[in-house]
Formats: sequence, C-alpha cells, structure tokens
Amino acid sequence: MKLLLFLLVSLYSYAVDATLKIEKDVEQRSRIAIVDTSPSQNSTFFKILLSDFKISGHFLADSKYNKGDINSNFIAPSLKSKEYIFQYHLTQQKGTKVMVRLLKASDGTEIFKKSYAIPTKNKMPFLAHKAVSDINNVLKYPDISWINRYVLFSRYTTPRQSEILLADYTFNYKKVIIKGGLNLFPKWADSTQKSFYYSAYGGLMPTLYKINIYTGKKEKIAMSEGMLVCSDVSKNGSKLLLTMAPNGQADIFEFNVANKVKKRITKFNGIDVNGKYIDDESRIVFVSNRLGYANIYKKSIGSAAVSQVVYHGRNNNAVDAFRDKIVYSSRESKKSFGSNQFNLYLTSSKGSNTRPITTTGTNQFPRFSTDGSVIQFIKHRGRGSSVGYINLISHQSILFPLSGRKIQSIDW
Amino acid sequence: MIKNTLLATATLSILLLNGCSSKTPKVNTDGIDQHNVNDATQIVEKTVSIDENAYGKENTKNGQTTASNESNSDVLNAGSNINSSSNGFKSLYFGFGEYGISPSMGTRMTVNGDVASKNSSKIKIEGNCDEFGTDEYNYALGLKRAKAVKDNMIAQGVNSQSMVIVSFGESNPVCVNPTDGCYAQNRRVDLRLAN
Repeated sequence: MKLLLFLLVSLYSYAVDATLKIEKDVEQRSRIAIVDTSPSQNSTFFKILLSDFKISGHFLADSKYNKGDINSNFIAPSLKSKEYIFQYHLTQQKGTKVMVRLLKASDGTEIFKKSYAIPTKNKMPFLAHKAVSDINNVLKYPDISWINRYVLFSRYTTPRQSEILLADYTFNYKKVIIKGGLNLFPKWADSTQKSFYYSAYGGLMPTLYKINIYTGKKEKIAMSEGMLVCSDVSKNGSKLLLTMAPNGQADIFEFNVANKVKKRITKFNGIDVNGKYIDDESRIVFVSNRLGYANIYKKSIGSAAVSQVVYHGRNNNAVDAFRDKIVYSSRESKKSFGSNQFNLYLTSSKGSNTRPITTTGTNQFPRFSTDGSVIQFIKHRGRGSSVGYINLISHQSILFPLSGRKIQSIDW
Repeated sequence: MIKNTLLATATLSILLLNGCSSKTPKVNTDGIDQHNVNDATQIVEKTVSIDENAYGKENTKNGQTTASNESNSDVLNAGSNINSSSNGFKSLYFGFGEYGISPSMGTRMTVNGDVASKNSSKIKIEGNCDEFGTDEYNYALGLKRAKAVKDNMIAQGVNSQSMVIVSFGESNPVCVNPTDGCYAQNRRVDLRLAN
C-alpha cells in the first residue's frame, strides 16, 4: 500500500514537473518592448522590427507602440514588467540612419548600443533585420542570421515573360535583377549569395546560366532540349542537381561544375524532377510519377534502387530537404479545377515523424532556411497570397502579404 | 526645530536624488557616418539590374485564338476549332494531369503531319499546362505532352531531327479566366515553325 502510494505520488510529481517544464519553455522567450525615439513615425519599420522579434523565436515582443527619448534611460512604469527595452532612432534624410539601444527594463541599464547608416532608403528593412540579429547575438541566443539574407524569386509578368527579383524575407524590399525574356527557376549558387543559377527559355533550347548579382557577369553552364532546371546545389557549390531532358525525357542529373561532366541519376520513363540532396549528399530525394501520381522518393546517387518516402496523399509535387529533414507539399482535396487544399508536411529521410505544419489554404514552394530551422512557403487563400515562415524550433509562424503577379519559383 | 529637521531632510533628499540620477551621455544621432554597415553584404553592396528584352517580342503572338468560354469537353471535341498554333499547325489539348494524345485529337495530328511534310524548316513543339501544380513538375508535364506529339509525328514519318520540343509549363496561358474552359485551353501543345 505504501509502495503504491509512493508510486502514485512520484507519477503525479513527474506530471506536474512536465507541465511546469512546458510552460517554462514558452516563458523562456524574453519579453521586450519597442520604443520609437525617431523624430517622425515610420510604421513599416516598427512592423518589421515586430516581425523580426517574433519569428526569431527568442522574444515575446509587445505590439504596443511606445514613444521615447533615445537619450533617456527612464523606463515607463507600464514597461517595467518587460525584460528588455529596445529603443530606436530612425532618420531618412540622405540615406537611412538608425541608432539602437537595448536597455534592461528593470533599471534602464544600457546593454547594447549601435548605429547603422547606409546611403539608400530602399534597404531600410535590412537595417531592422541587422539590428535585431545583432541584439539576438549580444544576448547569446541561437543564431538567426537567416533574417539578414536575400530571398530570390521569379514571377510571370505577361505570357512568356518573367522577371527575377531579390527581396528581404518580409518582401518589404524588392528589386528586379533580370527583366525581359522568360527566365525561370533562380537558385542561389553559393551560401554567400553572390551568384545564382537560372534557366533562360529565350532560344530554341533552355539554357542554364550563372550570374553574379554585383558584377552582372554571366556564364553559360549547360543547355538541354525541352527543359532545364537547377534544383539543388551541393554545400561546397561543386555539384548541381539538374533536371534535364536531353531526349525529351525529364530526368535528374548530377552535374560537376568544374569539368561539366553530368551523370544521370534517374532513368524512369515518366517524370522525375525536383532533386534535392539529403543526408551527406550521397543520396537525393525527388518527385516522380512512377506510381501514376506525383510523389516523393529517395535514391542513392550511386545505385539504382529507389524507395518511396511518402505514403499518403495523391499529389505530392514539391519537396525540399535539409540534411535528414524533408518538407513536401501534399494535395488534400480532389478538385480537378479551382483551388485545392495543399498542406505542408515535415518528415525525415527515413520517412518517420511525419507531421503536418500547415492546416489551411494552398501551401506551396516549401523551402528550408540555410540552417534548417525555418521553413518558407507561399500560401494562397481566396484571392490573396502571402509568403509565410514557420520556425520549427519555437513553432512561431508569420505571414506577409504578397501583391502583384504569380510567383514562379523561389529560393532562399 | 521641526522646521530645521524638515529643511535638512529636504536638502538631503535633493542631494541624494541628484547623486542617484544616471548621467547618460547624450546620444549623438547626427554623428553617424554616411555608410557604416560593413558586416552585411546585402546592405552594403550594390546589385545589378539587367534587361534581357529579346525573346519575348519574337513569339508573343501565338496565332489565332478563339473565345475562351468553351467548356472542357468542347476543347477536347474533335470538331472544336480552337487553336493557338501557327503556320497551319493545329494545337492539341489534354485532360487534367494527362499527357497521352486522345483519339479526339486524331484529325488535328493528321493535319500537323501533313503541314510538317510540306515544310523544310525546323518545327518547334511547345508543351503547356494550366496554372495548377507548381515548380518543376508542371514543366515536366508540359514536356511529356510535347514529346507525345513529337512521337506521333515521327510515327507519321516526320524526321525526328526536324523537330525540337520545349515546355513552357504554366508560363504561356492563352487565357487567364478562372474557368474550366480556360484551364482546358491552356493544357495544350502548340506547333509552329522555328525562326
């Protein structure tokens, strides 16, 4: 009897501890208030800061707008319940200047101060991202430098015309890099985002180019009748996974950038596309219709055996991978026309731990961040579209509205 | 006595308050350099802007098109006169997600074989899709459609070397209305003589 009582008490304690632990994880995010000390209000900048703090997964940012003095360490009584106060002073006369200070809310002690100045106004969003990223580092939280990176995407303009653009992750900054012609499937060539590959459909044969975004230097990489897409780039940039159709049959090839030798990886007489490196890059995951509908498969580059990764859904036509993590888009409604529901699922290269990470709308173009901690995607709902981000660690998610033309392809 | 005590207390309080106030140096926001962000390439360096306006002008005219109110079955009907090909060729239409040539397209394929036999120029066979589906899969589907047409032309005796296939995926719609008829018109293969 005593033993039973002891066991019951132990189990109860464990349960209580587990509950407390869950609550504590949520509470571990630092409560932060944003104080605008600028001479004039810029609501876009304020909203970008809020988004950055939220999606980082490390902060609980108060959405209330506060005004203050950049020279003052006084903390308003209503803000003393926070852990930190983030002050910013933004001016945009010639270019953009931002001074930021991070203070302890309890006593106004300054923890961090930095100024940022650039000669342009349109890159203002990047200053917000940089400031939040720097503060995150000062507080020694896990790295969130992905918020500083460019997003690369293509969109259709008119029939058989497209443009390729750079954006910040919120899409507040956008710049056309290539316009005119039909240039598609842009893909970053290196982790430093100096160059990207893209497919030009301007002539008789689709051609793959590499272009430096700072010098404009363009290099022809490969040509293929029918179709040519760079689906993935190895970590060191030396190899590419290309979808090519030299005989009118779309297959996946591994292309050696240095000696331009290509090795055919898939040989199915149907559709094999969208190859992505997984694990140690000796294997790939890809989309194929070898069972009569689009689904996700994996294969070693050096062997012929192919195995199925996903066993649900009747149309899983987009996939991305980061090491052993795989994200794919699965159609969950059966309309032949009109909008269908597509949801994103996360699984592993072993096909285990599969779970949905979206539940509504048409969610497509899943893309991992360079550190694999965040997934970017495009959501269509009704007549509107958004670019979305899901932080896999903190489970924070955020959407930014997209206006304008339909996105054709995106990389991050 | 009380007055003196009060005065002393007030004086002491004032002195204490002054001592406790933090002496924050005034932050000079005007002194920031014009450009001082040196550790972020995307902020600092200037990116290019390139205009490649060339191909688009060459082929924006897709040939004769008819009204886009046709239903799905109308487009796949052998008697339909919808067409977006050029040079006497006839476009072929496909069911949702399909890339086989249906029997109803037989007459059109015969016309295409006939036109090809009378031309020595290279023939471009362009596969297209409706707007559903994303990324590479849609382009591969368009390519399968184009290949199906090419294979049929080869079977009719057209020289394989005289034909080139390409997929435009969903990039080349002939109509943009959100209707079944419009989607059906976009799921097609066009043929034309290559320039």
